[in-house]
Amino acid sequence: MAATSSNGHATPDAFEVRILRQAGPGQHSYWERHRVKYEHDMNVISVLQRIAANTKTVEGKSVAPVAWDCNCLEEVCGACTMAINGHVRQACSALVDHLLEDNPNEITLEPMTKFPALRDLCVDRGRLFRSLQRVKAWVPVDSYYDLGPGPKQSREEQEAAYPLSECMSCGCCMEACPQYMKVELTQNEGENDADFETRQQEAYDGAFLGAAAISQAVLFNANPTGKNIAGERLDALMGEGGIQVCGNAQNCVAVCPKEIPLTTSIACAGRSTTRHALKSWFDR
Amino acid sequence: MQTTPSYLARNEFLIRRLHSLSGLVPVGAYMCVHLLTNASVLDSSATFQRAVHQIHSLGNLLPLVEWVFIFIPILFHGVIGVVIIRGGLPNYGSYKYTSNLRYTLQRATGMIAFVFIVWHVFHMHGWFHFEAWKTNVAEPLRGAQFSPYNAASSLGVAMAGVVYPLLYATGILSCVYHLANGIWTMGITWGVWVSPAAQKRADHVCIAFGIALAVVGLSALGGAVRLANDEGRRDDAEKVEARMWKAKTDSGEVDLDAGDHKRAEHLRKHTAPK
Amino acid sequence: MAKQRVMVIGGGLAGLAASMKLAELGIDVDLMSLTPAKRSHSVCAQGGINSCNDQTRQLGDSEWKHFDDTVYGGDFLQHQPPVKEMTDWAPKVIELMDRLGVTFNRTQEGFIDRRRFGGTLYKRTAFAGATTGQQLLYALDEQVRRWESDGKVTKYEFWDFLGPVLDENGVCLGCVAQDLVTMEIRSFRADAVVLATGGCGLIYGRSTMSMVCTGSAVSRSFQAGARYGNGEFIQVHPTAIPGADKLRLMSESARGEGGRVWVPRTSQDPRDPKNIPEKERYYFLEERYPEYGNLVPRDIATREIFDTCVNGGLSVEAGRQCVYLDLTHIDADELTRKLGGILSIYEKFQGVDPRFTPMKIFPAVHYSMGGLWADYERTAEGGLQPGSPRNQVTDIPNLYAIGECDYQYHGGNRLGANSLLSCIFSGLFVAPGLENLLKSQSSSAADQDASLYEGAVRQHQEQHQALLKRPVGKENPYLIHQELGDLMTKAATVVRRNDQLEAAYSACIELHERAQKCSLSDTGNWTNQNVVFTKALLDMFPLAKSILKGALQRDECRGAHFKPGFKMPSLTGEDAGDRRREAEAWCDRFDANNEKWLKSTVATWNDTEPDIDYEDVDTSLITPRPRLYGLAGAEVIERVWRERQAAKADRPGGNRATKSGETATAGAATS
Repeated sequence: MAATSSNGHATPDAFEVRILRQAGPGQHSYWERHRVKYEHDMNVISVLQRIAANTKTVEGKSVAPVAWDCNCLEEVCGACTMAINGHVRQACSALVDHLLEDNPNEITLEPMTKFPALRDLCVDRGRLFRSLQRVKAWVPVDSYYDLGPGPKQSREEQEAAYPLSECMSCGCCMEACPQYMKVELTQNEGENDADFETRQQEAYDGAFLGAAAISQAVLFNANPTGKNIAGERLDALMGEGGIQVCGNAQNCVAVCPKEIPLTTSIACAGRSTTRHALKSWFDR
Repeated sequence: MQTTPSYLARNEFLIRRLHSLSGLVPVGAYMCVHLLTNASVLDSSATFQRAVHQIHSLGNLLPLVEWVFIFIPILFHGVIGVVIIRGGLPNYGSYKYTSNLRYTLQRATGMIAFVFIVWHVFHMHGWFHFEAWKTNVAEPLRGAQFSPYNAASSLGVAMAGVVYPLLYATGILSCVYHLANGIWTMGITWGVWVSPAAQKRADHVCIAFGIALAVVGLSALGGAVRLANDEGRRDDAEKVEARMWKAKTDSGEVDLDAGDHKRAEHLRKHTAPK
Repeated sequence: MAKQRVMVIGGGLAGLAASMKLAELGIDVDLMSLTPAKRSHSVCAQGGINSCNDQTRQLGDSEWKHFDDTVYGGDFLQHQPPVKEMTDWAPKVIELMDRLGVTFNRTQEGFIDRRRFGGTLYKRTAFAGATTGQQLLYALDEQVRRWESDGKVTKYEFWDFLGPVLDENGVCLGCVAQDLVTMEIRSFRADAVVLATGGCGLIYGRSTMSMVCTGSAVSRSFQAGARYGNGEFIQVHPTAIPGADKLRLMSESARGEGGRVWVPRTSQDPRDPKNIPEKERYYFLEERYPEYGNLVPRDIATREIFDTCVNGGLSVEAGRQCVYLDLTHIDADELTRKLGGILSIYEKFQGVDPRFTPMKIFPAVHYSMGGLWADYERTAEGGLQPGSPRNQVTDIPNLYAIGECDYQYHGGNRLGANSLLSCIFSGLFVAPGLENLLKSQSSSAADQDASLYEGAVRQHQEQHQALLKRPVGKENPYLIHQELGDLMTKAATVVRRNDQLEAAYSACIELHERAQKCSLSDTGNWTNQNVVFTKALLDMFPLAKSILKGALQRDECRGAHFKPGFKMPSLTGEDAGDRRREAEAWCDRFDANNEKWLKSTVATWNDTEPDIDYEDVDTSLITPRPRLYGLAGAEVIERVWRERQAAKADRPGGNRATKSGETATAGAATS
């Protein structure tokens, strides 16, 4: 098969995929190699689909299919986030042609390292959603009855808010952040699910929010109705694991697949918290 | 079953902001003054000695000022800094972005700077002023080498060889990087420069500042090394310092006995016009 | 009585809207979803959400016209009261979403900006960049998170609905579900269960739908006794980007913002599209439909693109079918502002910037108009009775269906930017009905005997264990899925022929049997995606069969269901007299066809096959009229048809053709 990729490079008949696997939480992880036949327009999802349909390793051993998370395959749901060739991103928008150009003949897939491992490429990103609760990332409306239109907003306001509201909670910014540390608890002997859940949430609540949640706080503090509880959000940003943990490595903005101006949000939140801190100090 | 977070956890924001602030004021500001003062040695030994005299004109208040405005802030900034560094996991290996490199360097230079400053203060200043400490501990360990009333000449002696200048160059450049980059990140942390364009502009200013400060710092070091490698120059310096010492004591501006221990060992007493 | 609660299955727009409204009404909600709610398929909707608005109103638009466009676009196959209620609510829905912080694009003055979408002449569509579905979903997700924070909503994310729990009277009292991580199977007690589980595009293998859109929850309810309506009506989106793993949507808004569809007049013209002069380009939609141009309804656009490539041989590429969708004549900055999201998708997945190079697109399966049969209570005015527990209930008492998984709102074909509306509307509207249902109950699910739930769990556990114990080396579920997808795509998408459908139906039966022999490559009990997929695959067959059988039996063309063998003819007569005569005959045939086929297809599962039945459609508000897009002699037919309507209206007791704002007097609730 004399194939060339979209940009004219010669393509292989097949390539190897090295996957870091783990059977379950707390178990050891190991690398496994698969060989996948090259097709045009492949992305990492279609690679994983081919592997699922034929779960034999390079050594010819039959293994359980690789577990991975995905949904929309259009890079808007955020589900299929993983480290591909060492770099966190969505599997759906990782095109095989591009990956092979960077690293011929092999693609490596690893789960995100900042979230508790579930199995293979699946991780538990519950902390991420919990952080959205911490910063009260919502508009506190009175009710869902028809109370007329929302406040008028300028085009500039919309254009500032829209990029922030595109955040799909994929976790890339957290994975790449050197200040975002993994929080992984294991259920104790005899501890029931509810107690474990509470303990886990407490641990999450004391740990860093991450860029995405900070940015959401900024988004809702700019909303004409959302800003009614701006103080509560700023208190959350100044709480344990708040914005102060940021070390300005700015990896978040560099890896964000939606190109959300996260570092602008962080600086914005920095300014608001400075003001809020001074204000609460003097008004006390 | 809510557990109350610890005092440090509850005040994490305040502590981090104080850490950030202390890096600029007083630590960073002091460092600028310090490097500028030291760079005056390039002009002449007398200029340098004059500057040192000025600082030491505080007399007995000096240790208090030193500890409150310099040593404690540095220790605070350094200790909290170590805690912060322990709370992160640099990943430049995986994410090779300039800003990530800068983040990593900020931590590396912070560690270097902290060790350097602690050692540098010991080397030149000796940490404590009381005589027993100085003679029994500091000086045998090659500390307390700087004699304020023989500023240039003692500096020259202390900087002899190749190792000291190299250690100082590393230390100074680390401090300068840490300050210049720290000012830039501080501006983001406090929300001074917010937009990417503003951050870029601030970045240029910080780079320029850093280069300028590095020039000043290395000049000061250069001045010291010049003294170290030129005995004649050191002798001249000693003479100037002796004259200035005499003038100070004659005028009564400096108390003879109180100031004597701030002179170089070999010059003490016998050159004093008693 | 112990505290009552409602289980909502599905965390997309409909499920979230229902959850937050229920929580507001003080009802405890469990929200179950295959994925975190924020990752639901609703995020893929790009274009916008329709409502009549202050600006269009002044150009003659009204809620009624939106209603009219919707039923006309749906070829009159939907019961009209729910649609009328929905379009009446549309402006309120948008106002609510605006209050919830959706970042709708704004006009200079700060009002919500609107664009025009297919199937209407008014700029009704509010949009938030090119990710309107995502923005709407996030706003609702945030509200539900707020309630979750207050303890009013409990989320069960990464759970798979295995089936409803029915008591001896067939009343739904909860469900059984499986944790996708731990594989635990357990029951959930609920006083009502609301299905909001979306479409079933995965039956077609590759479609524009997300990987969770298997239709499994609907199928499981179908197999438990709920009926399935209008299964054969599957919308094929005219413009999608062909891909190896999925067909990615290129929103209709690309055409709404001025995108033009064309092919080179010479087949497979090797030149760079930008170097092909205007006169050598065939803008086939603009030429064939001068009034609507590139914004003809979806079914027509789809068929024309299909026809141009397959029958006209004018596909841009030789190896695969595709046409150009061209935006390059529009200012690049404007495109970025208005369509940035979708254009970046194209660039990301194809490696080409569509602002400077025409896109290559082809139709793809996009939406299931059909779904679980659902009831409603009609008011005298022709709308829905607010707060009626009958609204949205399936054939299984206390089991409700909302959003894409019900069959109610879109008839034979869905108008662009109406799906987001129907999802949010049905979610909001079902809540007060549930509140009244709960109030009317004398006992709560929490008081039921545990044996009912234990039995249901045991049954599902046994099925699960049996699947895991299948002998190795038999059929591969992933390959069976591919085969099913190919079979369905070939037989039941754009053009349908009875011989193909018959063959496909028997092939489907055979494939179903083979699927029963699937063996698993993963027999473990931790995050076993293999067994979850196999279960979903098995549950695709009842729906696939309903789609095929419904399509096979429906010998006509309606909406997305196009059978060339039963196409209404164009007029061929030369002189006016001939044409008139032909038009009369055409109208006779139209009436006769409606008499026979203006009926909802309703399938009942008999354990191996769907039994197909037909149900009258409530068309009491707007009399069905022919859709004449692009037909030769359309104006003559329309004249004849109008004359006949006028004559009918004059006859006492006849059906009145209703006009804007009028209230229908004839026709009772048929449901």
